[in-house]
This record gives sequence, C-alpha cells and structure tokens, in this order.
Amino acid sequence: MEIDMSRAIRTSGGLAIGAVFAAMVSASSAPALAKDIVIQMAAPDWGPTRFMQEYADKTYKSPTGNNVKLAIDFIPWGSFYERVAASMASGEKKYQLVVSDSQWIGTFIEGGHFMKLNKYIDADPELQAILKDVHPALTEAYATYPYKSKNIYGFPQMPDTKVTFYRKDLFCDAGEQAAFKAKYNKTLPCTYADWESVDWNTWGNIGEFFRRKPGDKLGSGTATEDFYGTAYQAGKGYDFSSCQALAFVFQAGGKIWDESNQPKAQAIGVVNSDEAVAGFSKYVDLLKYSPPIAKTGQMDIFAINDLFMQGKLAAIVNWNAVSATAIDPKVSKVHDKTAVALTPGTRNGKGEVERWDIMGGQPFVLTTWNSEEVIKESLNVVKWWLSKDVQLNFAKSGGNSALQSVMNMPEYDGIKPWNKAHKNLLKWQKDFWHIPEFFELLTQQQEQFDKAITGQISAKEALDNIAAFQQELLTEAGRIE
Amino acid sequence: MGGFLPWLMDPKRRGAMLVTPAIVLLFVMNIFPLMWSFGLSFFHYKASSVKPPRFAGLYYYEKVLSDPVVWERFQTTATIVSLSVLTQMVIGFGLALLFAKKFPLRREILMLVLTPMMLSFVAVGVFFKLFYEPTFGVVSYLYRSISGEAMALLATKWGAIAGIVIADAWMWSPFVMLLVLAGLVSVPDYLYEAAEVDRATPWERFKAVTFPYIKGLLLLALLFRTIETFKLFDLVYIITAGGPGASTESIAVYVYRMAFQFFKTSQSSALSYILLFVVIVLTNLYLYFVNRREREA
Repeated sequence: MEIDMSRAIRTSGGLAIGAVFAAMVSASSAPALAKDIVIQMAAPDWGPTRFMQEYADKTYKSPTGNNVKLAIDFIPWGSFYERVAASMASGEKKYQLVVSDSQWIGTFIEGGHFMKLNKYIDADPELQAILKDVHPALTEAYATYPYKSKNIYGFPQMPDTKVTFYRKDLFCDAGEQAAFKAKYNKTLPCTYADWESVDWNTWGNIGEFFRRKPGDKLGSGTATEDFYGTAYQAGKGYDFSSCQALAFVFQAGGKIWDESNQPKAQAIGVVNSDEAVAGFSKYVDLLKYSPPIAKTGQMDIFAINDLFMQGKLAAIVNWNAVSATAIDPKVSKVHDKTAVALTPGTRNGKGEVERWDIMGGQPFVLTTWNSEEVIKESLNVVKWWLSKDVQLNFAKSGGNSALQSVMNMPEYDGIKPWNKAHKNLLKWQKDFWHIPEFFELLTQQQEQFDKAITGQISAKEALDNIAAFQQELLTEAGRIE
Repeated sequence: MGGFLPWLMDPKRRGAMLVTPAIVLLFVMNIFPLMWSFGLSFFHYKASSVKPPRFAGLYYYEKVLSDPVVWERFQTTATIVSLSVLTQMVIGFGLALLFAKKFPLRREILMLVLTPMMLSFVAVGVFFKLFYEPTFGVVSYLYRSISGEAMALLATKWGAIAGIVIADAWMWSPFVMLLVLAGLVSVPDYLYEAAEVDRATPWERFKAVTFPYIKGLLLLALLFRTIETFKLFDLVYIITAGGPGASTESIAVYVYRMAFQFFKTSQSSALSYILLFVVIVLTNLYLYFVNRREREA
C-alpha cells in the first residue's frame, strides 16, 4: 500500500503557484486532496485475474475521489498457496486483498491474517445488496467461517463449477447415435437438454463406447491413434481426485466430516459409510474408460484438458475456468467441435438425477493490517468488481458471474458455452473443510484416494483409512469430542 | 596522518577485512536461520499463526521419532538412494572408462554427456514426466510400437521408483564420471607399461594400478551423491508427487509438506535436524574412511 501526500503538500504552496496548480487540477477530474492509494492483491495468474487487472486499469475509479490503483501480484498457480502463506507468515503485510481458495480461509483467519467483514457490511447498504445478490452457495462456501456461520470474510472473485465438455461432432453424429442406441438402448446425448438426463451409468456407457483403436471408425472419419472415451480428474496433486470423488460420495448419500457440527460430528462411520463407499467405488470403477494416465494417479485437471484439446477424448468433466481453453482456436484442435453441458449425476430413488458436487473458484478477502481508509478503498474495489456491469463484462471475457441478477439476464446463458450449465449447477455445490487442519486432511485423503485409483487398495480400505486418520487428527485438534 | 581509513587499511587488518563480508553473509544467510529453526524445534510454533511460541522441550523430537510415517518415508528414501546412487556409480564409472580412451569427437561428446547435470531439476523433472506420460509420452510410444499397448510406468510403486531413479541417474551419472575420469587420467602411463611387462591381466591391471588411483574419488562421488540423493525433492515432487499413493514420497518431500502445507513449523524443524544429523553421520563416515586410507598409505 502506498499513500502519497505530495499533492496535498503541493496545494499549500504560494498563491501564484497555487493558482496555476488549481487551474491544472480543475482541468482534471481528481480532487485537490485526493490521495494515491495502491491496493495490492495476491492472485493466481490466470484469465479471471488478468481480466480483473486489465478492466480495473481501464475503468476503475474510486467513488471517494482518491486515486486508487488495483495492483495484482500475479502468482503461478503451482506456488500460489506457498507464496501467500509465506507472505502471511513473514509479517510483511504486503497485500490488502488476497484471492484465496475457500479451504485456506480457516488457516489464515485463525492465524490472524484475514479480516471479518460483518461490521462493514452491517454499516453499508451497498455491500448488503451485493451479498443478497451473490448466489447463496457461493457465500456459504467462500465467505463463512466457521463454515455456514454468520461470519463473513470474503466475496466471490471467480466462482467455478465443473461442467461437461464434449465433442458435438461425435455425439451428434447419426452413425454414432445409431450404434450407441443399438448397443445400450439409450440415446447418445447431443444437445444440452439430452445431457440433463445423463447419469454416471450412461457416462460409463459413453466411456466404453468411444474407446477406439487406430483404423476404427470415429464419427464421420477414422481414428488415427488411440481414442479414449471419458475422463474426469483423478490426480494425486492438490485436491484433484477429492474434488471429483466427493461428488460421487455426496450423490450416493455419503457425507464428509461435518465441520459445522463440531465437536459432535464424527469421522468414523460417516466418512466410511456404506453410501460413501458405494459412491467412491463408482468413481474408481469409471476410470477404466479413461486414458492410461488414469492408472498413474496423475490425471489432473490440466492433463484431461490437454488430452481433450488434443482430440484424444470424447468427453471430460472439468472446471469450466480451466477447460475454457477447449474452445480457443489458438490451443485447441477441437475448438469448433466442443459443446458444454451439465455434469452427469446419480439417479435417486425417485428417478431424479442428483448432481451434488464440490464448489470451485475462489473468494477474495481483506487482510487485517490496513487503515480504515484502505479498508474502505478495498471494499470499494469489491463493490466495483461485484457490480452488474463489471460482472457482465467479466462473463463476456469468459469468467463466471457470482451475481444472481446477472445470471438471470436473458443474454447470460448465451455469452459463453458454459454459462447455462454453470448457472444451473450452482445450487448443487457444496464445499469441504475450511479449518486450519485442511491441508493435512486433504493430503492424507489424496494419498488414500490415489492408492485406490492405482489399485493398491480397495475403495472401502481407502475410506476406512481416511476415516481413522480424520478421527484421530480432529480429536487431537479438539474438533471431535 | 591518522584517521579511520588508514587504520582500516593497515596490512595487519587486511586479512580480517577481506573475510568479514563472507563471514557476515554466511552468518546472516546460513548460521542464523539454522540456529533460529533449531530453537523453534523446541517450541510449539506454527508459522501460519501470529501466536507467540511456547516452550515444548523435546516434545517434537519424540513425536517425529515415534511417527511411523516418518520411518516409512525414510525407508522409501533409502530405497531411492540405494538404487539411484548404485546406478549412477555404475554408469558414471563406465562412462569414465569410455572417455579415458581417445577417440574422434571425444571432447564434443564429453560436453554433451555433461549437459544433464547443468540443467535445472525442474526442467529435468518436467522432461521425464512428459517422457513417461502414457498417452503421448515417448516411453509409452516406443513400448506401444512393440506391444501395441500403452505403458503407464508410474502406475506402480516400483515403476514409479524406476522412473525417479532413471531421471536422477541421467542427470547425475556425468558427475560421477567427471570425478572418476579425473582419477583415471592421473594414473601415470609408466605404471600401465610396467604392468604390461609383468604380463598382468586387464583385471589385475585395474585392481593393482587403476583402482588405487580412483578409490578416493569414487568414495567422494559416493558420498556426494548419497547426500544429494538423500535430500532429493524436485524430481520426486514433479515426476510422481510422491505417488502412487505415498510409495515414492521421500523424506524431503514429507518435510516440505509438514513445513509449508501443514504449517507444523516446530515438528518440521525437528525432523530437519534429524535429517541434518543423518547427513553429518554420513559425512563423518566418509571422512573416517578417507583418514584410514591415508593412515594405511
């Protein structure tokens, strides 16, 4: 943060100089006592934050009249957490705003670095209106700590959901459709509406159906190399397999340890319930239709996106922010053949498809070490970002809006291929742990999931091990009675 | 004429003047952080928290040494170290024997062979990760051309260990070669000529003439590579991320997770000092063997 008082000092100069200066100032829009304030924001280096910087440079003007500049420190995703954590731990107090994965907020709130915003929201009708307009699933996942409490710590910077990217040239091919119908007695989904009824069983059929060898017929042409059916994330790194596997667990009726019900909530018997085992088993089983990288436990969100863009996969389920590149002619071989739909789900007893999933994207939060003036300016940046005009332009650049009022605009669904699916999937999103022990829970879970994915242990053994570990760790941390 | 500058430039103080910047730098960058983290290992402290440290005594050393995961990671590290260092010694030694002879383009080829050890760990890690990629990687491509099936080398524990060992050996065998080659070229020709006069067999020539000259350097290569491989982080983290499961997670990767992901600052400091102790023991073992050899000589 930099506050420059030089303008104010200059205005108190001699009369003649003052007159000249006043004339100069009157020619510009800046008030005489305006301060130069830089809001530093730590953010991952990718499209949604690059857009924010460019758009702020072009359009942002603080309503206070100060010269406020948003300066984003773009940090590569691979080292983002470590860099933010190191900045917090060092006490350098560099950032006023931080884009944070929702799971990290407990660590940084309890570490004293992220600021509770309730008193500012209570005093500001504009912030209240924004909070009312933000989709409730986003506020719950991104802003509340303890999870699902009334304490608000952040606002959405880039909401994200997983959607299905598929090859419309293959799925809508008459020959493929007839062959699929003949083999499974099901319709090969072609349109968005067709995908609404696709469950994981059909996804499995699609995966099996589209595995082709060189020389096999593929759509209207012939496969020149191995072609694979379907893929979703199954990587050991960060939260890759958890983000998809837990969707299966939730849809099967399973649960994770409920952090909003501490200290009564238990891990053993919940994390490894029969429903959870059934869901996770289904997740592991469907990987057999994926490219061989699935066997290594390294099929992360980038790997599946790369393979899809190379034209080696019929369909993937991935974060729309990551796979937005699939429609980019500069990097994707299938840019003109790609369509987007809802993710498959699990059919419940009533025959309805349930699509519970893990929320993606990130909030941005304020840090605790700023003056009231800088807090006010930071909140003005938040208000600017979550204004309808900016959110609409963000959506046009490929981002996802957090505001219901923007998502409900008639043109929203057609802005980008994923908008409709994203909007319709938000209600199905949940989040997992926000507590400071998050990384330990995640690392052990990823390790056990990876063992099951690579065939070292069964799905049940993996969940039993996870439940036992969580029970011990959370009991030791005082979070389980 | 007196004054501070002449006093400072006095030849009596010149030596101290010259070494002072290096000592200050060493203290600030190495010794102080080492002492600080050593101190932290005796306190309850998390770097992610603003709470002040509380004294914990030997609690974290006891916790680390009784943690079965730590011992598993040590076993994994020992496996990788043994296989990787052995491979590097064999390949490095073979390359040194090859380059000890004169042949056309020897210098140019030698430069090429030395290239891997000049590359960054991250670059090498990414190369090999892509080589091993089963869908489009070169290893799988070659395997597919023979068997018709893709090869997922990193899908099993031993395949993943092999993947790391190959990458590490590719990078560091030239280092072993360089050391051994230095020993080989220092053997006086007249010793070989004498051995030939004595009608020594190639094995006898190697045992009696060559090996005594390169023994010390081989030991040095062994020590350096053992210590370095013991700390192996980058290649493991990039190629396998410790997987499948945790079957290739080295102790260095575990320390990293503990320190920078779990923010168990005190516990990770304690484990780091145990690692430092292991490295010091290895170094002393080497020094003991070197000294014994000198005494025998």
